[in-house]
Amino acid sequence: MSLVAEAFVTQLAAAEPWPENAALYQQLKEEQILLSDNASSLAVQAFLQMCNLPIRVVCRANAEYMSPSGKVPFIHVGNQVVSELGPIVQFVKAKGHSLSDGLDEVQKAEMKAYMELVNNMLLTAELYLQWCDDVTVEEITHPRYGSPYPWPLNRILSYQKQWEVRRKMKAIGWAGKTLEQVLEDVDQCCQALSQRLGTQPYFFNKQPTELDALVFGHLFTILTTQLTTDELSEKVKNYSNLTAFCRRIEQQYFEGHDKDSATTVAARSAKRSLLR
Amino acid sequence: MGHIPLKCKQSLEPLPMGGPDFGALGEEAELVEVEPEAKQEILENKDVVVQHVHFDGLGRTKDDIIMYEISDVFKAKNLIDVMRKSHEAREKLLRLGIFRQVEVLIDTCQGDDALPNGLDVTFEVTELRRLTGSYNTMVGNNEGSMVLGLKFPNLFGRAEKVTFQFSYGTKETSYGLSFFKPQPGKFERNFSVNLYKVTGQFPWSSLRETDRGISTEFNFPIWKTSHTLKWEGVWRELGCLARTASFSVREESGHSLKSSLSHAMVIDSRNSSILPRRGALLKINQELAGYTGGDVSFLKEDFEFQLNKQLLWDSVFSASLWGGMLVPIGDKPSSIADRFYLGGPTSVRGFSMYSIGPQSEGDYLGGEAYWAGGLHLYTPLPFRPGRGGFGDLFRTHFFLNAGNLCNLNYGDGPRAHLQKLAEYIRWSYGAGIVLRLGNIARLELNYCFPMGVQSGDRFVFYTNFFSSNWFQRLLHFYLVLSERIAVFNFVYSMPV
Repeated sequence: MSLVAEAFVTQLAAAEPWPENAALYQQLKEEQILLSDNASSLAVQAFLQMCNLPIRVVCRANAEYMSPSGKVPFIHVGNQVVSELGPIVQFVKAKGHSLSDGLDEVQKAEMKAYMELVNNMLLTAELYLQWCDDVTVEEITHPRYGSPYPWPLNRILSYQKQWEVRRKMKAIGWAGKTLEQVLEDVDQCCQALSQRLGTQPYFFNKQPTELDALVFGHLFTILTTQLTTDELSEKVKNYSNLTAFCRRIEQQYFEGHDKDSATTVAARSAKRSLLR
Repeated sequence: MGHIPLKCKQSLEPLPMGGPDFGALGEEAELVEVEPEAKQEILENKDVVVQHVHFDGLGRTKDDIIMYEISDVFKAKNLIDVMRKSHEAREKLLRLGIFRQVEVLIDTCQGDDALPNGLDVTFEVTELRRLTGSYNTMVGNNEGSMVLGLKFPNLFGRAEKVTFQFSYGTKETSYGLSFFKPQPGKFERNFSVNLYKVTGQFPWSSLRETDRGISTEFNFPIWKTSHTLKWEGVWRELGCLARTASFSVREESGHSLKSSLSHAMVIDSRNSSILPRRGALLKINQELAGYTGGDVSFLKEDFEFQLNKQLLWDSVFSASLWGGMLVPIGDKPSSIADRFYLGGPTSVRGFSMYSIGPQSEGDYLGGEAYWAGGLHLYTPLPFRPGRGGFGDLFRTHFFLNAGNLCNLNYGDGPRAHLQKLAEYIRWSYGAGIVLRLGNIARLELNYCFPMGVQSGDRFVFYTNFFSSNWFQRLLHFYLVLSERIAVFNFVYSMPV
């Protein structure tokens, strides 16, 4: 959007308070949603819970195509539609809620850097595993991605998406990587996060920020999604403070809330193996 | 014996009906050479036998399909009959679409087995080339495109045709490939297979649609009606045209697969599809989707009826009625791509294109049931300027249009449905000038008064007619193709 349009939309957004019927759209929980989309959706849900803004989750098979940017999740607030965590944080800020106001400039830059790290490493690794690892593609991704559609549309859409993701991987230089190298990258990323977190409850002071929401979204999903192998979740389990961090956020923001959020967290795509 | 070559070049219309003597026939005939000792005979009532029919110029065309078209010529009993049947055979050969031109030559028989009243008919044909191409540029609603067409007529010798069209535009590209095969001897019975990708932009709904599909259809006549049976499989992709599209339209974005069987029946006795003077048209169409695959399930019915009658002083009265209903099967609601739309210069004049009926935030969602009707009176221009020439292409046009579009609650009975369709009728009346463009389009310039406007409808008449200056009017100026698709829509308003 141009700067003028953005400013205009921000003005509009600021004018109205957060409504009761705000909705977050994602793909179907049980049959369709994939690891990376689930992680992004959970990150946004965690962020909104941390801001204490009510949101209900609506599952639609065509959520990806409904989104203005083509990525899930997106939120429908009043008559505004905003997709992806970054713009949602901006939108929520325009309405007067923010988690990172208490940070100084240096900390804000650091937060942005770590968020970039998660997006460039963890998210890309998830996409790689889903779409470039042949075993996972055959057994999990293709059946799930095309499940709402009849034959032959399910195959066509899966292949189309796979071709698109592989092209993107080629563009950022990940096409030549092997699975081991990707898992190594994940390990390094987790190490960096673990070091930053240390023994603190959250990444910055004692208050959660959008970085916490993002890290929680990705790590929790990795830990609780059953894939063809456990290697990815094992990499995260190596760092006990990260698993403790996930457990803490789940207990604080998702359990004990209304039934909707609990089902969101509990009924994900696979068995729960983390917290038991 | 007299040597009488008769060469009939163009159409024989009007066939010489009266005139028994040879002079009347000779209007299009070439010079008659009569040898001094020959007797001039009155040929019309003389019995003749067609002994041979020759064909000159056949290349790849197979013999059997030609045989069917010309078999009637052998049955002719007298000379006028021979000429008439040859003319009909020529028309039949031309409609196969495989010859560039066909000339008929009727001559007396020569040779050993020639009877005294024997005739030879020779068809001189020129086949179309194996491959013809065309290139056009089109400029439409904010878009320009290059259209390339390729045609392979008479591919295997029995009037099969393959056409390929590719359109490359500034916004979208589309293409179509089609194979057509008629039944030898019965051209009206044919089947075709089409493969296509088309894209459409619908600004009245803020919707963009891309269809990729394959269809096969059979056409066959039964008595005076022509029927079409079609199976179609389409992968539809819907998207929002602008970021400001309403959420109801945004919810419809995505992919769906429609696999449907449809049947259409047409009876058309009009003399022309643009500004007909007499005759009637009845079209009934039904479509059943969902039982041959896909994820869209519905039953759709629609009909169109038109009646034309010529009145005194070269004026024509025309009445038309059309309507339709879409019944979704199962519990999934109907898709915006299947619903009906109403409004605009092709149905209810005075309202913006397809801008009647259910809408959300300014985007028109279409409806599941509709009806529309019109009464038209076409007269020659007042004072008949340019009579006999250019002026005949123009007609004055008085019209009354009405219609309604809504969603029905299928749980209620038919009485409730009729009631719903009868309330909130939109209608309009007005007058204008119509220009006929060949056989494919008409250009209209109208003065309309839309009435019965409901909240949410968009109409093209913004100022209050009765209180404002005569100049502050709105005129419609639009081009309408014979299939009721408006191509060019221009509204001109004159300020006070």
